[in-house]
Amino acid sequence: MATQARFGFEQVRRVPLVLFVLLYTLVTGGPFLWVAAMSLRTTAEIFKAPYGLPAPAHWEKFVDAWTKSNYGTYFWNSTFVVVIAVALVTVIGAMAAHCLARYNFRGGRLVHFLILSGLVLPPQLLILALFQILLDINLYNTLTGLVLVYVATHIAMTVYILEGFFAQIPQDLFDAARMDGYSDFEIFWRVTMPIGAPAVFTAVTLNFIILWNEFLFAVVLLTDDEKRTLPLGIMHFTGSHQLDVGMAATGLMIAILPIIVIYAFFSETMIKGMTAGAVR
Amino acid sequence: MAPPEIDARRAGLGILVVFLAPALLVYAGFTIYPVLRTFYNAFHAIKPQGVVEFVGLSNFTALLLTDSIFWKAVANTAIFTIVATIVDVVGGLLLALCLFARAPLAPLLRVVWFTPVLMSYVVVGIIWVWFYDYDWGLANAVLHWLGLGAYEQSWLGHPSTALWSVLVAHEWKWLGFNMIVFLAALHALPAEVLGAAELDNCGWFAKLVYIIAPMLRTTIVNLLVLSFIGKMMVFDLIWVMTGGGPLWSTETVSTYVYKRAFEWNTFDLGYPSAIAVLWFIIILIFIAIMTRLLRQRDRLEF
Repeated sequence: MATQARFGFEQVRRVPLVLFVLLYTLVTGGPFLWVAAMSLRTTAEIFKAPYGLPAPAHWEKFVDAWTKSNYGTYFWNSTFVVVIAVALVTVIGAMAAHCLARYNFRGGRLVHFLILSGLVLPPQLLILALFQILLDINLYNTLTGLVLVYVATHIAMTVYILEGFFAQIPQDLFDAARMDGYSDFEIFWRVTMPIGAPAVFTAVTLNFIILWNEFLFAVVLLTDDEKRTLPLGIMHFTGSHQLDVGMAATGLMIAILPIIVIYAFFSETMIKGMTAGAVR
Repeated sequence: MAPPEIDARRAGLGILVVFLAPALLVYAGFTIYPVLRTFYNAFHAIKPQGVVEFVGLSNFTALLLTDSIFWKAVANTAIFTIVATIVDVVGGLLLALCLFARAPLAPLLRVVWFTPVLMSYVVVGIIWVWFYDYDWGLANAVLHWLGLGAYEQSWLGHPSTALWSVLVAHEWKWLGFNMIVFLAALHALPAEVLGAAELDNCGWFAKLVYIIAPMLRTTIVNLLVLSFIGKMMVFDLIWVMTGGGPLWSTETVSTYVYKRAFEWNTFDLGYPSAIAVLWFIIILIFIAIMTRLLRQRDRLEF
């Protein structure tokens, strides 16, 4: 930090800088505080004074949203889909990345190209055909079908992140493990995975956030209210109760809070995960 | 050098299959096959009850020659993509420079400014729909408070302001992402060069334009391409905030694909598939052009 003083940005006038920084912080954080306040107020209170404080705080709105407005179902659906999809894509993505980074074999470059070309495929190119395919195999409107689609569409990014890291693990370690009599699978599980843990963690974070927020695949592939994930549930609730802003805000908070809480503890990991594709 | 019988870079076919098959099977079934099927669909009329009829290029000719809504969607997507990409890169760089210039609490602000990036478009969209609400939204309230009541309006309800209003919400979500990437790149710059510029009495603006921007070229190109790809496919935020309306003023290519497939009574998946295929090819062409044009010919060494 000491060297930074010499970078010479001191010529920038401090007062405008501080004012701008304050303003931008307000613009970024303000909406969250506003929703947080509204989530504890009734709709009548909100319409009377949209920017008032939550006094008294209606904590029972969270219970209502969770049980009566179905947000509990949406939350568990999201959790189920995201946890299983992230676990699956991490394991099979890591196996593929390990194989591509570690072994020389005929067709390796083709497999590599095929998987990584998934990075540039727009979801719109897949979604209509996925709708047909899931109908054909009776997985349309099922969480299982959504999990399969999530795994398939996130293999490319997972392999991309992991392969680069795995390839940098020194070959000597693998030769030594082989000498010690490790099988190929043990080498993957007991050498690559522990050493590659930081990259695995990055991939898990990225996939978790993207899938927790995913909307397009879910909206096309699910129809039952009982199967909706959180983004669909919130969208549905806000659409069908346009005037019940108070309850909608409580629903938004149920989606926002878990992310904010995790972010408070693991901010650096999450920043690193989200920007993994862009920072080299 | 390890003797050949323990060469750890070789593996039998069985091992390769065990490692690659799960990923390849899922990927082939739910990514490669759907892409091929979409290309197939684009040349057919796909009606309910499995009626498939070969129509040759007629989906594409109808799209290009007679579909005025498609062209409106293309125009909107183009405006959105160009403006949002520029704002992303310029705004992200300026925010990063604020923190790099040692604004107070910079390490904390870096984390706070990134928060919107983690939110889903549904959350962001609904917050901003409320922000723009005619009766109790903050946008009109602020104008009223500033004595600019004449400018109060239904931001998302009017064709001339809707696209720009969505764009502002989009940038609110994404600026933090670009800021983080630029900040990482700025911290990787060599201190000597910046120090030398200072000795030469170089002003901060000149330093930004002549020294920092050229040295960040790789980062800028990466972010331009990344941002461009994202914006060309924009769907979620538009869908949540305006659904493409009013009067097609926020219709993008992606929302139009969705509408033609699932909302219109045309009951044909072939036509929207043709739109998706055409748009994918256009995106690929632009990526190729951008990387070729922007790629650095003589690499800066530092």
